[in-house]
Amino acid sequence: MIEDLVVGLAGSGGDGVVSAGESLLAAASAQGFHALMTKSFGSQIRGGESSCRVRLSTRKVLNPGGVLDVAVALNWEDFRRFGAELPVGPETVLIHEAKAGPPPADFAPADRMPREVIGVPLAELAKASAGTDRAKMTVVLGALAGWFGLPRDGLDRGLQKKFAQKGEGLLEANRKALARGVAFAVEHPLISPRTLTLPIRASPKMICDGNEMCASAAIFSGCEFFGGYPITPSTEVMQILARELPRYGGVVLQAEDEISGVGAAVGASFAGKKSMTATSGPGMSLKTEVLGLASLAELPLVLLDVQRGGPSTGIPTKPEQSDLFAAAFSAHGDVLRPVLAPTSVEDTFRVTVEAFNLAERYQTPVMILSDQEIAQRKETVDPIDVSRFELVERIRPTPEQLAAGYQRFSATPSGVSPISHPGMEGGNYLAAGIEHDVRGAPTASGAVHAAMNEKRFRKLAPLQERADLFEIQGAANAPLVLVSWGSSAGVAREAFALARARRLPVKLLVPTLLYPVAEPVFRTFFAGVQAGLVLELSHQGQLYRLLRMFVDVPRGVTSFARSGAQPFRVDEVVQRLAQAAETLR
Amino acid sequence: MNTLLAPNDYKSPLKPIWCPGCGDYGVVQALYRALSAVGRPPHEIAFISGIGCSSRIPGYTTAYGFNTVHGRALPIAQGVKLARPELLVIVAGGDGDGFSIGGGHVPHAIRRNVDLTYLVMDNQVYGLTKGQLSPTSPRGLKTVTSPMGSLEQPINPLLTVLAYGAGFVAQATPADMPGMTALIEEAIRYPGFSFVNIQSPCITFGEEEQQLKAHKARMKPLASLGHDPANQLAALDLARAYGTELYTGVFFRNPSPPPTYDVLVRERQVELQRGEPRPRSRVLDNFPRS
Repeated sequence: MIEDLVVGLAGSGGDGVVSAGESLLAAASAQGFHALMTKSFGSQIRGGESSCRVRLSTRKVLNPGGVLDVAVALNWEDFRRFGAELPVGPETVLIHEAKAGPPPADFAPADRMPREVIGVPLAELAKASAGTDRAKMTVVLGALAGWFGLPRDGLDRGLQKKFAQKGEGLLEANRKALARGVAFAVEHPLISPRTLTLPIRASPKMICDGNEMCASAAIFSGCEFFGGYPITPSTEVMQILARELPRYGGVVLQAEDEISGVGAAVGASFAGKKSMTATSGPGMSLKTEVLGLASLAELPLVLLDVQRGGPSTGIPTKPEQSDLFAAAFSAHGDVLRPVLAPTSVEDTFRVTVEAFNLAERYQTPVMILSDQEIAQRKETVDPIDVSRFELVERIRPTPEQLAAGYQRFSATPSGVSPISHPGMEGGNYLAAGIEHDVRGAPTASGAVHAAMNEKRFRKLAPLQERADLFEIQGAANAPLVLVSWGSSAGVAREAFALARARRLPVKLLVPTLLYPVAEPVFRTFFAGVQAGLVLELSHQGQLYRLLRMFVDVPRGVTSFARSGAQPFRVDEVVQRLAQAAETLR
Repeated sequence: MNTLLAPNDYKSPLKPIWCPGCGDYGVVQALYRALSAVGRPPHEIAFISGIGCSSRIPGYTTAYGFNTVHGRALPIAQGVKLARPELLVIVAGGDGDGFSIGGGHVPHAIRRNVDLTYLVMDNQVYGLTKGQLSPTSPRGLKTVTSPMGSLEQPINPLLTVLAYGAGFVAQATPADMPGMTALIEEAIRYPGFSFVNIQSPCITFGEEEQQLKAHKARMKPLASLGHDPANQLAALDLARAYGTELYTGVFFRNPSPPPTYDVLVRERQVELQRGEPRPRSRVLDNFPRS
């Protein structure tokens, strides 16, 4: 019996690979499995190669998994384009369209060649059972159900949902294809049979992706304005808000460019509304100047950057964690803006709410660094109890303050000054990108500039004490560490659990708050540490380098980083940890 | 006319840093008068500008001002207006701000028809950076960045804005203060995107024929030519003379203004919010569950 199954499918654009993955996800969820699905495409809009991987488990799924348990290749060329994203090994059951022929000799290195390879005449079976070869992915689902013991009623419910509107005929045809797939599996049992343990009971779950979760959290947080420009892989946030936000009284503006999108959002914030923009790397570069304006004018703003491969156009459809420097530093002048990163779809809710709260509390732009994997992967998510989230509103001037010579940028001990907005009588002031005194009057005084810089940094000092924005696991005195963020943290968590099971003296740190670097948290965490890894998906290892700017990172703690579209595998991280452990004194 | 608020009620205590004799002094005076005539209290006015000498203007009024970044006043102003449509939103800037670095935003603000009044103080030169070529500088103009004379055709703000479909297009000069005041007031009152190109002389770097004295001699009120502001084709024809003739007055006023974007957005919101109230705390119910 197995408790965890990773299935990878690849084919051409029209093969319905992703749709089959979604059916598998829905069926698994209906059965009470935790499940997660990632998609990966070439850059073509139609056609081209497409793939997905689905991981389902009786336990919480932390990441898309490593080596596939089951690989489904509709043709060899498309499958192989996904290289590291769909790794196979000797234990992988490799299923392929029979007419594509056996795997080419160089399909995988000899030591990674799957031992069990099954050619299934998918198109032929589909045609014979359903009357159309378009049902071939349904045959695949049936075969998977047959081989791994996936209950058929969940899959059937999925078919019903998918084909209900398309006519009874199509539903019936697909049911036949499903049955044919199951029958094929029975006729051709696996050499090494594996059957999934079923969850004890099914608890209701949501199925959603990170962009959907972010948009929903924005609505929950009270966002009333969104300005943006379409860019992969963040566009869905604008699409969802365009549909949903007006229902809650909000406004979405699809602007003429990235600059205009963030500009309108800053304008709406000046007008007193919670506001947001979303983008990816290239858009982040363009929005930089207006972000600086929001910092200087002390206006709340949430900016979501769904990271993809960069620089420039890079790889728009694949994840990377290489915008951290841009998020923290892309600005002229002395600027400090908080940068937060979610580690999963579920986590995106908490992080987005936190971003709005920080923006409003400290009157500052706040960056959310998501990435293509989290943004576009679908997860089963346990119901979220929203009542435990506090929502923060910006501090407004009191009637007394408005009556007695209101000062927009008054020098307060916290550095946060009550903020008015147009329409509020007595609150009139000049907001500006130019340096200003406490009333908002432009100034070129160096002394005032220094004092205002100090105020803008002072107000964010409490972030240094936000230990709740850091997940720490393991014994406090463990000499070996694993640090990771964003989507890589899902791999880190599983690797940590495995390393501990192997008795490595390891502890884990996953920061939600990446910048400003909370020095006290890291100092405490690194005290007595001798070795470890900072795990992240970028060429430079940006978090590792950022930490070293602010904290004395122990010498034995090194960067384990590589460029995007090559997700980490749990086994390699554990191996690296084991190597690091050998250096412990 | 509203008698409760005098022009001085719109005047802030900040002393302008413009050069003595700058045309923008006239613009801000005309604006105080126009705002007083319209009568909206200063706290209900949002005055957004970009960067340049003229973009300092919001600070010289008692309205809520936002002196933003170079070229981005229009997008920011649209955000303000869409977030709070009840506000009176005025946008101001120079020819460089509006037609060079920010030129890409002009057609979109116009085609959306957000109810904004856009005042461009056009002096055909970059004043704040001390005398470089601007997008409206005449061909052949010698400046520090075109020492042998500009080889570029200037942009024609009137013609482009008309061509983009603006519902109200006018031109003014501080050489005619009552005329400019009336035009700004009319632009503010126009329901939709309105544009006033103000030929506001740069006393320090501007050409002789762009100074107030020359304006007084050159200006030709469109009304005196018998121009019908409802005639868009005639307006386009007259606008072609930008750079040679100094026409003042209304080139085009749409006789039947279409609904503004901000009104349409609000109507759609109201329509979508009919029926069961949707608490934001229930937003996660939108997701499929199994």
